[in-house]
Amino acid sequence: MSVIPPNPAAAPIERLKCGWCQGLNLPTALSCQFCGAPLNLKDVVSESGWREAPRLKDMVEFHFSKSTCQVEGEIVPVAEINLAQGDSVYFEHHVMLWKDQNVPMQVMQLPGGMKRMLAGMPFIISVASGPGRVAFSRDATGELVVLPLHPGMEMDVREHAFLLASNNIAYSYLRIKGLRNILFGGQGMFMDRFVTTNNSGLLLLHGYGNVFERVLKPGESIIIEPGAFLYKDSTVQMNVQMQQLTTGLFGGTAMSLAQMVGPGRVGIQSMYVHHSTD
Amino acid sequence: MQPAARSYTCNWCGTVSDGVSLTCPACGATINIAAIVTPTGWTEVPGRKDMTHIQLGKSSMQIEGLYVPVADFNLAAEDSVYFTHHVLLWKENSVNITMMPMKGGWKRAFSGMPIFMTQAKGPGHIAFSRDNPGELLAIPIQPGHALDVREHMFLAATSHVAYDFFNTNIWFSTKNGDDTEYHYPIGNFMDRFTAPQQPGLLLIHASGNVYVRQLAPGQSILIKPTALIFKDPSVSMQLHFEHPASGGGGFFSMLTSFALRYLWLRITGPGRVAIQSAFEPVEDSGASIYGHSPATDQRW
Repeated sequence: MSVIPPNPAAAPIERLKCGWCQGLNLPTALSCQFCGAPLNLKDVVSESGWREAPRLKDMVEFHFSKSTCQVEGEIVPVAEINLAQGDSVYFEHHVMLWKDQNVPMQVMQLPGGMKRMLAGMPFIISVASGPGRVAFSRDATGELVVLPLHPGMEMDVREHAFLLASNNIAYSYLRIKGLRNILFGGQGMFMDRFVTTNNSGLLLLHGYGNVFERVLKPGESIIIEPGAFLYKDSTVQMNVQMQQLTTGLFGGTAMSLAQMVGPGRVGIQSMYVHHSTD
Repeated sequence: MQPAARSYTCNWCGTVSDGVSLTCPACGATINIAAIVTPTGWTEVPGRKDMTHIQLGKSSMQIEGLYVPVADFNLAAEDSVYFTHHVLLWKENSVNITMMPMKGGWKRAFSGMPIFMTQAKGPGHIAFSRDNPGELLAIPIQPGHALDVREHMFLAATSHVAYDFFNTNIWFSTKNGDDTEYHYPIGNFMDRFTAPQQPGLLLIHASGNVYVRQLAPGQSILIKPTALIFKDPSVSMQLHFEHPASGGGGFFSMLTSFALRYLWLRITGPGRVAIQSAFEPVEDSGASIYGHSPATDQRW
């Protein structure tokens, strides 16, 4: 039997599509070059439809712009960024773990500093520029959630949950609408909003405990503990739902829960920030 | 020729299964690995695969995640689970939440225990998790059996599991001026879970790693009070005060070692006891003890 050799010029270029970020990778790749997700493992999805955030292999490396990010450790993972000349990342300064001394630092100009300070949000966002290395981690067991943002995406993130973002992602904050949402929503007054326009960018979050994501269809809803909320597409609506629990003797209590209504992605963390009932 | 049927007895919960699945159908423990036992007799809780499935009659449960695991119930229409409300992670709209009546509300409120127990009724999904890294223990409770669980360890239980609590009688008191301060190193009350008629499933979240030891009748061991997770009702508890020797080193070190004491919980068999590797420090100012529950004392 004769074997016909493949004609490289005629063969279509096969690409492996990452199930997490949809990035296209070389067929030989074991991890996604855009988000580090393992490509040789099946997605882990619960029977109820929650997908686990990809478990990043220790020392996995991925790329954004001309820079790279290596994820080190598994219990409290570190994101070590090797910034190329011309690239920069921004972050809250207390998540910085170490840096090369020649990496220049500056502060990002943000509108509404006083409002942010009063609302307990970071009012100083720091920026590190390449070339050089700088590393980041948070203060509790959890998972790094790598979210490459394609052009035209809007992502809302729980305050203080973002670890870093690349400079081609616009950063703003969103005031949560409605007094009821502010008082009982468990999210505070603001959420971080990350927007891409013409370029792609990298957004890194740190979720406490394990992180799960669910894609809601239009009109589909799910009820979550507000402290478990980590991120959502801006198309997902978030409403407060008060759950009254009454007893004869003690009069009862009320739980404030968050109703998320699709379409779009919702990410939650299993070690959540607990908000006491009223 | 048909292969001989093989059965497997789970070394965690004792359930006999056909051995076809890689996990115990009753508790989710991995069944194809040998138990890990320390030379001192502590057995590590058997490993559990991510997304382990446990069947509970018409309902089922899945344990998701490894750092801070989530218990995700798929409740049938006639089934329900109960839990303390702050462990709720998410739920579907179809799951109805109500308050479960409990006795001894005032006593529980005064001793810092949850006074409200919440009940969720199917059909639909509801999920629970706690707020620190650790292990999720799935413990099937058989009719006639009971398990004593330290307060605030309980995550959720199926409705066939009955819930009660009892006074631990583990306390000591100190004086602060004219005030007498009472200290309860494992809490004033302890939860007791039984299955009066049908088997049920009890879920506990422990911090860090979990180790279980079977104590022989009269065998005794000292553990840190807040490391206790659960015990069989046949296991008795008592306080133990230990005072280290000064070891010389001058007046200051003599003074500090005189005030220093180690506070232990003496656990005596027969029965099982489980401990967690991450536990809160027991607050003890070292003030003179004014009164205490039955206790032993050791001065070195």
